[in-house]
Amino acid sequence: MIFDYNQEALKNLKIEDTSVLDRLVDYRSARDAHLKKDHSQRDKRLSLHEAIAEYVHDGDIWCDSSFSYVRSALQGWWEIIRQGKKDLQAIGSPNTNQTYGVLYGTVKHVHASYSGAEMRGIDKMFSRNVKNGKVKIISDWSHGLMAQGFKAAQLGMPGCFSKQGLGSDIVNHNPYLKVMQNPMSKDSDPCVFVPALFPDVVIIHVNAADKFGNARFYGPAVNDIATAAASRKVIITAEEIVSNYDIRYHAKGAQIPFNNVDAVVELPFGAAPGYMPNEYYWMRYFWEKFFGWAAESDEKCKEFFDEWIINTKDINGLIEKVGGLEWLKKSRRRARAAEGNNETDGVSFTYKIWENGMGDQDLE
Amino acid sequence: MTNDKPMNPLEMLAFIISKQIKDHEVIYIGTGIPMVAAILAKKTHAPHITFVYESGGQDPENLEMPWSVGGPMTWRKSPIIMEMAYSFGQAACGMVDKGFLGFAQIDMYGNANTHQIGTEFTNPKVRLTGSGGNNDVASLVDKLVYVGLQDQNKFAKKVDFITSPGWMEGGDSRKKAGLLNDGPCAVITSAGVYDFEPESKRMRIKTLHPGVPAALAQLASGFELLAPEGEIPVTETPSKEIIQILRNEVDPSGIFISMPS
Repeated sequence: MIFDYNQEALKNLKIEDTSVLDRLVDYRSARDAHLKKDHSQRDKRLSLHEAIAEYVHDGDIWCDSSFSYVRSALQGWWEIIRQGKKDLQAIGSPNTNQTYGVLYGTVKHVHASYSGAEMRGIDKMFSRNVKNGKVKIISDWSHGLMAQGFKAAQLGMPGCFSKQGLGSDIVNHNPYLKVMQNPMSKDSDPCVFVPALFPDVVIIHVNAADKFGNARFYGPAVNDIATAAASRKVIITAEEIVSNYDIRYHAKGAQIPFNNVDAVVELPFGAAPGYMPNEYYWMRYFWEKFFGWAAESDEKCKEFFDEWIINTKDINGLIEKVGGLEWLKKSRRRARAAEGNNETDGVSFTYKIWENGMGDQDLE
Repeated sequence: MTNDKPMNPLEMLAFIISKQIKDHEVIYIGTGIPMVAAILAKKTHAPHITFVYESGGQDPENLEMPWSVGGPMTWRKSPIIMEMAYSFGQAACGMVDKGFLGFAQIDMYGNANTHQIGTEFTNPKVRLTGSGGNNDVASLVDKLVYVGLQDQNKFAKKVDFITSPGWMEGGDSRKKAGLLNDGPCAVITSAGVYDFEPESKRMRIKTLHPGVPAALAQLASGFELLAPEGEIPVTETPSKEIIQILRNEVDPSGIFISMPS
């Protein structure tokens, strides 16, 4: 397909070669990719290393999943960085986890929606790297507009009309968005056309999946059901692999169907150092230290991630750093209490803001 | 624990915001001071409000300050947990009453910026967070309230980027742009409470906090503030009981309502 992008946005973003934009909205190529998959109910279990090596390629549009540090497939994302994949485009609402990928050349282009640490404020590292050109924003979104793009893809529509984004500068800084008259209205009724969005690859971390890829999770879906349907390649990492019977007879059922999925990885603690609904609490001092060091300088942040991602071989190493078995016990209890599934006495939710000299362990 | 320290400006802010919330409303709220205010409202005059969050969580039990909009405090024992597109969709369909947003800059028509400082997109002075759900909330909820600290840079003559359109260029320009809802109904700052003059849609002083003369509020603004006719009312202040609820029940660790020392 030859696409007709928003010219004003191309100018404002200084994009000359638009080929970098095409794949995200090329619904025919996404359909072809889905048609070419083996649709059989087969055993898709792989190791994390194998799944990332096989399904994530340099230059792919990688989609962040779930919500920043809640159920996001962080161990899958870290493996992408460890394997030295290069020049990915990052997308996601929110897309907070892209920021440290920029340090390693993993991420080069960004479809931006939100980068920050919520109550901790802006992401100074991302801010620096936008400014110095290490990462380039190639389309700018609100969460809702991007969510509609993913949802349109899931629903099999080339796009949809939205009442969000009107009158904002977002529509002048996003080559994919166009303000158009509602064709059903004789009166003036401007809408924003949002094309359906098709990432190349998404990794989604879930509570349980069967070996075919039917997957269930707790907590907000955010955009995961939509991006699982939209993405050309889908890797599920799961706290546990359960039988197909377990999925069929579980009251919750599955939210992601097997035919969306290319690989299933059994990966307990795959959302760590983030929070996993029903399973474990976020590793608070990991994030506190990260926000603190990322704000200081790229060098400091790289030192941090060299230690935590590159030189931490796997999840065992990570858990050791924050307190080992003691952390496991406390973290599970904390999560269960936070969700109202356990008593809160003896469980502390208070913690300190990071100061240099503090330890990494998160025990109390 | 009783704490008799005098009220600080952040506590004042939380109190005034809480007064904007009516019982039984469905509201969009993020983390930080607006959340403090909403919890305060729920614990005082508005026990039946329903919270919705962009992650999909809504109506959690035992409301507490969430450390993330995706965190368990936004969906603890929720009757239903939605997806992001559906969450905003219900606001578009007219089922969310009110939203509260912050700003890095806001202009006299209530156009707000959380994108960047500096006007050049590819080389900003500072890239901020981007929109997140701000544009969506501002475009969809029935009534929108802005909340933030006020100074000459934040109350900007012209915002560097319109993340969320307010009344745009005033008059009927917002309506012409096709937006579903009205522009913001209020802006609440460390100095006062503002509304928008119905014809011109320019920001107007509604009340000023105790000890803030109009000249000071004007000094802390990059544009001319309209004033109501006659004497400017003083903003209501919280009672001792309210301050105790804030300190002991709403934000006991003082993360949001203690002033930086």
